This record gives sequence, structure tokens and C-alpha cells, in this order.
Amino acid sequence: MNLLTIGWIALPLFVGFSIYLLPRFDRYLAIAISLASMAYSLGLILTSEVIKLELTDSFGVTLMADSLSGYFILGNALVTAAVVLYCWRQEKSAFFFTQLTVLHGSVNAVFICADFISLYVALEVIGIAAFLLISYPRTDRSIWIGLRYLFVSNTAMLFYLIGAVLVYQSSGSFAYEGLRQAPTDAIALILLGLLTKGGIFVSGLWLPLTHSESETPVSAMLSGAVVKTGVFPLVRCALLINDINPILQLFSVATALLGVGYAIFEKDTKRMLAASTISQLGFVLAAPAVAGPYALSHGLAKASLFLTAGNLPSRNFRTLHQTPIRWPVWGILTTASLSIAGVPLIAGFGAKTLTLKALEPWHSAVLTIAAVGTAVAFAKFIFIPFTRFSEADHKISSGFWPAALLLLGGLIAANAFSLTTYTPNNIFKALLVAGIGWLIYGVCIRHLKVELPRAAEKFEHLIGAMSLMLVLLFGMGLV
Amino acid sequence: MIAVLEACVFATVMGGFFGIILKKNLMLKILSMDVMSTGVIACYVLIASRGGLFTPILETGLKSDGVTEAVAYADPVPQAVILTAIVIGFSIQALMLVGVMKLSRDNPTLEVSEIERSNMP
Repeated sequence: MNLLTIGWIALPLFVGFSIYLLPRFDRYLAIAISLASMAYSLGLILTSEVIKLELTDSFGVTLMADSLSGYFILGNALVTAAVVLYCWRQEKSAFFFTQLTVLHGSVNAVFICADFISLYVALEVIGIAAFLLISYPRTDRSIWIGLRYLFVSNTAMLFYLIGAVLVYQSSGSFAYEGLRQAPTDAIALILLGLLTKGGIFVSGLWLPLTHSESETPVSAMLSGAVVKTGVFPLVRCALLINDINPILQLFSVATALLGVGYAIFEKDTKRMLAASTISQLGFVLAAPAVAGPYALSHGLAKASLFLTAGNLPSRNFRTLHQTPIRWPVWGILTTASLSIAGVPLIAGFGAKTLTLKALEPWHSAVLTIAAVGTAVAFAKFIFIPFTRFSEADHKISSGFWPAALLLLGGLIAANAFSLTTYTPNNIFKALLVAGIGWLIYGVCIRHLKVELPRAAEKFEHLIGAMSLMLVLLFGMGLV
Repeated sequence: MIAVLEACVFATVMGGFFGIILKKNLMLKILSMDVMSTGVIACYVLIASRGGLFTPILETGLKSDGVTEAVAYADPVPQAVILTAIVIGFSIQALMLVGVMKLSRDNPTLEVSEIERSNMP
């Protein structure tokens, strides 16, 4: 298994650059890589084996793969495969598939690395590959969105680097365990980098614009897989070191409520999905031990929602509520929305129940409120009218159907990981949460005309928020 | 002495960071980020030098009897690590400057507020 792990982690980078040499096979190579990751991750989950590797020497790269990484890798593999299928018949050059494969490989690298420097390298490669994918259309807007993303993430990573060297200074190694005896400033700096990269709480406000203004397949990839790369190291550190757990719990609550607040009042489909990503990351972070299934179900549901939202006749909810859409599209939209709202029979239910069960009472209560808010926000999708034949002749991209079927199939199959949660009590509670959410939506939210200010998403405010977060983290670390 | 150097390193990092916030021009913002990353690199070099200032290269024959003299070497690990970070920082900078070149065609002043106004939905 050790050799297999090394081969598997190197393969996407190797194949990614070979795609450039063999442009004719670009789509086949890209999908083969995601299938390989899928097989590897299923192996990790089913055998629940823990692989620990130290490459070269005691100061070399340390890797650690277990079933937690398995869930994250499986999510990444399915989302990448769906994105490749979606782009299969589109006029995308080999460059696009090269970047997609490199991005897939570096996201995988984050999910198995166990020291701060390998993590840094993987996160920076992700930043570059994601920038190239965002700015692929070469329009001014896409270049600016990409530049803004790269700038924010690189500045955050500079803070992270200072934190990493302070960890080294106190423990003599860059391994995650070193965080245990690290000084407060090291913890604050590292957390700032990871929270910003992972789009959590105020440092995640770069996310709505980036994820909503990218091309459809790229937003699916970013929201479904890439954004988890900031959360995964936090989850891993929380499992290793108990001291930082209280700080992360506060952030999980704060980001869940902030994201849901934005999502409820948002009038634009893709921005609503991006805001809900911020809130769902709070759920992933809440219970580190069961973060895997939650990240998997959220990734699949969010990717299919982004792919569907890109094929709706409009991005405005008001317009959508007046023009019926075709029923198969509505079906996909609703299934994925129900999964995120945590309705039974879809993977989101099991994941949400497991997460809420693993928490302390106060934490679970606040996150249940966030779950009601999620149901309110996604009611906007569920109550879009549908017909058998749509008069509005809207073109749906041909790769959409296989991609959506793959993701929904994954959502149904992922139920197998959480069969124990299907008790009458849990089912009743989940239905109650969703029902209350829809009721609130129908009674008051539907007619609301509130526009949230977007000033906090301006570039300078994003950078400025980093210094505020740093002060906040210092304070939390000292208390 | 170390404390003074440390203060200088953090002044560089902070100077770069405030440059990113306060400068209006996108090009200067990117240069400020470079200043900040210079500070971070200096931080690594400074921490590596705690054990000593000699280059960590093993040399034989420093003494007349052929035994290597035990000198206070600098710690090689942070230096090796920061080399990677320098390369990554440099390539990101290059990539961003290409993006700025493209943007400058339609926004010749490169003021971030102007670029944002024309490119935010």
C-alpha cells in the first residue's frame, strides 16, 4: 500500500503535464486519473487502514492517509470526474484539462500530507491551478476574479509561513504534532492562513464572488472539492491536538450562521450557493471525527447544484419563479437541495445526523438553527415551478446529464456509509427541521426584498479583515 | 542583536502588509506583497541562524589533522524549506504580473477601485 500511495500521489502531476504532450487523449487521461483516485479512496475507506509515510529522512515529507482522507479524496474524485464529463463535448483546450488534473492531484496531496511545509506547497499549487482555471475565459472580469483569489490566498499563506517557522522553532519539526507545544502566535498565524484558504467566517468573504463568477464547471470544482483543502488540515489538527478544538468550534458556529444569513437573503442562484458553501464548511468543521461523510455529501450536492444552476434560464430567483423549468432539471435540483437540507434517503441526512449527534448540546442547538436556515435558503430552489414541456426553449449543455447522474448516484450510494442513522427519531427530527424551514420561507422570506450590502467583499476589506482576524485569533489563543 | 533583527523582520512584514492595503495601484500592491514575502524569508533565515552563522556545508580538512572542526553551523532545514517558498512566491508574482498586463489594456491606471467597479456584478 505504501508504494501504491506514492505512485498514486505522483500520478496526477505526471499525467497532467503529459496531457499537454498528448492533447488528443486529454479527456480520457483526466477521467482515468479521477477513476484511479476513486479506487484508491474506496480502498482507504473500506479497509480503514492508516498509512504513515516518511519520505527521504526525518526532515522529509510526511504523509498520513486514513479513512478520513478517504472520504475527502472520494469527494474530490467524483467531483473531478463529473466536471470532466460536463466538459467532454465543450470546446475546451488541453490546457484546461492539464490544469484540472494538476488541481485534482494537489487537492489529493492536501488530503494525505501531515506536515506544514508539504501542506504549504500543495495549497500554493492549488492556488495557481485554480487561478488558471478561473481566468481560462481570458475576459477582464475572469482575470480580475482570479487575481483577487490568488492575491488573498497568497497573502494568507505568507502569514501561514511565519506560523510554520515558529512551530519549527519550538518543536524542531514541521509535523502537525508540533502545534501542541507551539506558542500562541504560531497557532494564530497558521489558523489565519487555513481559515482564509478554507473560506471560513469573515476571512471567507472572498468566496461568494469567486465561486459565483467563475464558469459553471470551475465553480463546481471550487465549491465541491477545492475549498475543503483549507478545512481538512484544521480537522486533522483538531483530531491530533485537543487544545485548538474550542477555537475551531466557535468558528464552526460563526461561519455556519454567517453563511446561512447571506444565503437566505441572496437573490442570485450562484451567489446563494457560494454563501451556503461558507455555512456548510462550519458543519464540516464542527465534528472532526465525522467530517469525512459530511464533506463528501456536501461536495457532491454542491457540485451538482452549481452544474444545474449554470443551465437554468436565469440566475435571478425572481425570474426563475415565474418561468417553469423542465422536470428532469427540477428533479436534479431538488434532490441535491434536499440533500443539503438533510432530508432522509439522500446522503446529506446521514451526514448531518452524525455531525449533530457528535456535538455538545449548545453546539448542536446552534447548528440545528443553522440547518433550519439552510432549509429556508434551499426552499428557493425547491419551489421553482416545473412542467413536462418547457415553452422556454433553453439549451442544456450535453455533458450535463452524465455529470449530474454521476453526482446524484454518488449521493444515493453514500447513504451506505451512514445506514445506522435511519431511526424513526432521527428521521422525524430531520423532517421537522426541513418542514419548519419551508414554513418560514413560505410565510415571510418569500416576499422579502432585502439586499445585503456587499462592501465587505471589496478587495481592500478582504485584506484588512485578515489583520482583524489575526488579532481575534491572538486573543482567543491567550484566553 | 537578535531582537533588533527580529524587529526589522517584522517591520518589513508589516510594511508590506500595510502597503497591500494602502496602495491604490494594483502593481504597487503586488510589489508590497513581494516586500512582505521578503520579510517572511528573512524570518526563516534569522531563525535558522540561531545555532550559528556558518554555512551548513560539511568540509574536511579545516584543521591540520584532517578532523572536521565543530563550528556553529546554521540550521539547514528552514533554509532548504524557504528555497521552495521563494520559488513559489516568485512564480505566483510572475503569474500575477501577467494578469496585470492583460488588465492594464482596459484599465490603464490600474487603480483597484476602478477595476472593481467595472468588474463586480
